[in-house]
Amino acid sequence: MKKIEESIFKFLMVSSLVLLIMALLSITIAVFVKGYNALSLKMIFTTPKGGYYLGKEGGILNAILGSIIIALSATILSFIYSFFIVFYINVYRYSKSNFSKSVRFLLDLLWGIPSIVYGAFGFAIMLIFKIPASMIAGIITLSFVILPIMARTMDETLRMIPFELKQVGFSLGATRLEISYKIMLRQSLPGILTAILLSFGRGLGDAASVLMTCSFSDSLPTSLLKPVATLPLSVFFQLSTPFKEVQERGYASAFVLTFLMLFVSLIARLCTKSLSKNVVK
Amino acid sequence: MGAKCPIEVNNLKVSYKKEEILKDMNLTIPEKGITVILGPSGCGKSTLLKCFNRIIELEEDVKVEGEIFVDKEDILHPKTDLIALRKKMGLLLQKPQVLPMSIYDNVAFGAKLHKKMKKNELDELVERELKKVNLWDEVKERLNSSAQSLSIGQQQRLCLARGLAVEPEIILGDEPTSALDPLSAEIIEKLFLSLKENYTIILVTHILRQAKRLADYVAFIYLGEVVECGKKEEFFNNPKDERTKRYLSGIIAG
Ligand SMILES: Nc1ncnc2c1ncn2[C@@H]1O[C@H](COP(=O)(O)OP(=O)(O)OP(=O)(O)O)[C@@H](O)[C@H]1O
Ligand SMILES: [Mg+2]
Repeated sequence: MKKIEESIFKFLMVSSLVLLIMALLSITIAVFVKGYNALSLKMIFTTPKGGYYLGKEGGILNAILGSIIIALSATILSFIYSFFIVFYINVYRYSKSNFSKSVRFLLDLLWGIPSIVYGAFGFAIMLIFKIPASMIAGIITLSFVILPIMARTMDETLRMIPFELKQVGFSLGATRLEISYKIMLRQSLPGILTAILLSFGRGLGDAASVLMTCSFSDSLPTSLLKPVATLPLSVFFQLSTPFKEVQERGYASAFVLTFLMLFVSLIARLCTKSLSKNVVK
Repeated sequence: MGAKCPIEVNNLKVSYKKEEILKDMNLTIPEKGITVILGPSGCGKSTLLKCFNRIIELEEDVKVEGEIFVDKEDILHPKTDLIALRKKMGLLLQKPQVLPMSIYDNVAFGAKLHKKMKKNELDELVERELKKVNLWDEVKERLNSSAQSLSIGQQQRLCLARGLAVEPEIILGDEPTSALDPLSAEIIEKLFLSLKENYTIILVTHILRQAKRLADYVAFIYLGEVVECGKKEEFFNNPKDERTKRYLSGIIAG
């Protein structure tokens, strides 16, 4: 009986794993196969020329750069807010206090709100203050979309830090600030890197929040105050044309987006190893 | 070095969430030598120790009343400079807790908090403190590797060195040998004996034999109260209180 139980569970585990790998592989392969014809260096290093969406010359450099700049800036911005929130609730307040629990609950709620709502809200504020669609508006809106992901992921790693580590810091005469950045930060570096990575990934792939706030542009991002292109929207525009060659470019762009994510993840994994060197268990 | 005059604990009361843990404690700890605090598990030894450097306040819902005089100042007074107080007290926990950094940085950590130091001064400090705890020869080749890589016994000595580097006057030890193997425990015990000339040492333990080996003075705590305290010889050979007698003969477990 025990044996059968064991093998059923084993089967379920293996099949779920296979499903996961299949999903990843089939998406990547499908995107690659469909976009293969359009994939070229030229596509990556040029901007859309006139009539690009009708099948004429050009590339998606505007969207690649736009996405990277927006996602990166939003990640940095939300890291800054998260840092203060998370260290406040874990070092300045008791991790398990009701206050800290309420903050976590709030972040979980925010996590559940679809990004289109953030986009719409950002847009409404822009209307009130007569701010045009611009890169800066997109960055700020996106930073709020990824804030709960960043803060909660960081919070989970800080919460796991043994209480004794804080005790040691205090007994040596450290202030809360010194404990935060000299002890807790070091101890949670690998977790913080994961938080940054997750947030960056989400930022890179999010279309809804930038749709209304930074619009789209065929030229390279040069100013914070001008509209800017992003990869997910570029994929959307290309796929929704009736022309086969433009759709192929859409798939090629999607492949570039996937590849970018993979690349960032790999680099981050490599860093995690050296960051974990001193972490105490 | 060491405290300049005896540490006085007057009417100390501590409660967690209205549950009274220490009930009206009165205790005098001589400024020289090792004072051992004995008592069964859960009687409040760690709680008392945490009051001395006030890290008790890190716990949630804790209330501390009374006075503790260290060098004629009531350290429980709200205006006490906590950083200065904690610098004066080195704490050694039951389970060695190294910091997430290299061996070198562990020793230098506390010292750097209180004083700007040059690289060569730090090098000297690290070597000096590691030598004090007999760890230098074992780690001098790998000062930059993670403190996590040391054995538990070595980690505890590293923690002691880290505490000493801050130049405390008083050393607080909360069962510092209980997580260690007998050999490492013996090394730590010897270190305490060698340090007692220069520091006021307050050591919590529930190992009677260890208390006999190390103590100059003993305080016996039972259910949050100081039952008896005095010189080692008197305490062990001629206990006055009934509860002390029962504890020493092993009737009260701990
Ligand atoms: N953070 C806390 N919240 C609530 N109660 C606590 C807390 N810490 C300790 N206590 C309680 O206080 C009492 C005394 O604890 P303390 O740790 O001081 O005992 P101890 O004498 O050090 O015991 P041991 O020898 O097992 O270490 C215990 O009954 C314990 O349950
Ligand atoms: Mg204890």
